[in-house]
Amino acid sequence: MSPAAVKVDRLEKTLGKNKVLRGISMEAASGEIFGLLGPNGAGKTTTLRIVCTLLAPDAGSVEVLGFDTTSAPEEVRRRVGVVTADIGVYPRLSARENITYFAELSGVADGDLKRRVDAVVDRLDMASFANQRAESLSSGQKQKVAIARAIVHDPAVLMFDEPTSNLDVLASREIRNFMVESRGRGKCVIFSTHVLHDAERLCDRVTILHEGSVVATGTTAEVRGAHHDLEDAFLELVEKR
Amino acid sequence: MNTLAIVFRKEMREIFRDRRTLIALGLAALATPTVLIVISQVSTKTATQNYTVGYSGDIPTGLDILMIATGLQLERVADPAAAAKQQVDLGVVFQPSEIDEWYDPTRQSAQIADTRLQTVLGQYNAAKAASALKQLGVDPGVLTPLPVRAHPLSSPVKAAGNAFLSFFLPYILITMVLTGGLSAALDASAGERERKTLESLLLTPTPRSRILLGKILAVSVISLVSAIAAIGSMLLALTQIPLLGTRVSLSPLAAAVMVWLAILLAGCFSSVTLALGTLAKNFRQGQAFSTPLYFITVFPASIILFIPDFNPNLAYYLIPILNAVLVLRDAIVHNSVAWPALGITTASLAATGLICWFAALRLFTRETLLVRS
Repeated sequence: MSPAAVKVDRLEKTLGKNKVLRGISMEAASGEIFGLLGPNGAGKTTTLRIVCTLLAPDAGSVEVLGFDTTSAPEEVRRRVGVVTADIGVYPRLSARENITYFAELSGVADGDLKRRVDAVVDRLDMASFANQRAESLSSGQKQKVAIARAIVHDPAVLMFDEPTSNLDVLASREIRNFMVESRGRGKCVIFSTHVLHDAERLCDRVTILHEGSVVATGTTAEVRGAHHDLEDAFLELVEKR
Repeated sequence: MNTLAIVFRKEMREIFRDRRTLIALGLAALATPTVLIVISQVSTKTATQNYTVGYSGDIPTGLDILMIATGLQLERVADPAAAAKQQVDLGVVFQPSEIDEWYDPTRQSAQIADTRLQTVLGQYNAAKAASALKQLGVDPGVLTPLPVRAHPLSSPVKAAGNAFLSFFLPYILITMVLTGGLSAALDASAGERERKTLESLLLTPTPRSRILLGKILAVSVISLVSAIAAIGSMLLALTQIPLLGTRVSLSPLAAAVMVWLAILLAGCFSSVTLALGTLAKNFRQGQAFSTPLYFITVFPASIILFIPDFNPNLAYYLIPILNAVLVLRDAIVHNSVAWPALGITTASLAATGLICWFAALRLFTRETLLVRS
């Protein structure tokens, strides 16, 4: 395995009265799709939010490409792109304006701005609706805007948090293809999902969370073991606890 | 480009594409002239309107001419007391040695008719007394042993106009600075959460203080534009519409003070409304949170209406909003500025703005903002 792009060490987090993370550790490398799996409420989203510096850990640490999320959050944010199921966009801005805004805030230089925006518009096949106001776009088109704004600054780490949960079959396939393509470009892709079937098809390695703890980690084949699929493996792991 | 400028430019672009904001701006520009036209017409109509006096008995000679000349139309009725309840504005019974009058104080027309009747009777009685004294060979001047010659220091008509402005202008200023930017403030705070763009925004490496400051600047600008549109259109209307018998205008000093206060108030209100919007889960909840703010801020402007000669000591100028109202009133009524009062007012409003900014920043950077969304 390559050196870890994202290193999570004994992470703990409590939200309100709920202890969401109970000392989880994991590592994701560049050039792989790393699956963060588990049922709803397992702590996947909280983990990703700590990795991308939106939340601070109560204990433990997270490093992204050598930068600590607590002491150098802005350096971490420069190197991370996040796509979630919530495809919120600014409705009164066009798709291109939405992407440009995030590119500027992410520190893309003025001289490079147009080239970068044009590049992601082409890469995601958005030219036909790039100048339309976002309020008139379909869910799939909005999801493309959300991906574009997350990758326009060319981050080394891409995190997808349940990215297909609100999308139809075609749009979901495009997202999966995009993750595979990003892995080919040497990115560290973290894919958080509760749909184990999706993870099994895409992920090189996985970590399964349950009630804030890691219950299994390894290559997809290792975690599946002798079971028919990941879902069976997961159910047995949970029943053992 | 500076990240502050990037956020500011994006917010302004969104604001000017928002129909709600454009409608609010249009209404701000149209509302005050419309109100002034209505006030002017109502006051003109009130001054020239005739009122009906239902009477019985014999009218003293000459009094009927005076009453008709004053806009009191006479109508003979069987029972003046009963007629005064609804049929006529006043009921009067003329008797040889006295006059009985009935009117309903809850009716404004009855009050105005009563005032006119009292004025006419005062003049009539004085004339009759003077005539009687003359016939007796006595100088009627004995009736006014201390005649008064008034020397107003300024035009009473202009003073009345200034008094009107001193209430109306602070009221419009505060209302428009607050409401003009409210929609934009809620859209830039609660709206981010409602349309689920907040998380993506906070994921950028731009410091949150800069994001917030860019939003505050944009909301402040739209608040100022709204206030200036409303006041500009009002002043323009005042040059065309006679009010209180005169054309009211604002002195350059008062205009300069007003703009300075508008800038300070816009900064304060933007921070407050953004902080409230950050607390809210959505635009509608943000509106609910902001409604009390309207009453709190408009209340000080009302003080000028109820206590027009309120002359407080300097400590009162520490109270935000009230201080702005008082400074602006002084600039309009006296065409002068008490610099210590303006200094304290500026410091007070700047400090309030800063406190609100810190509060908004604290709210904007707390984890629960994301966890709740």
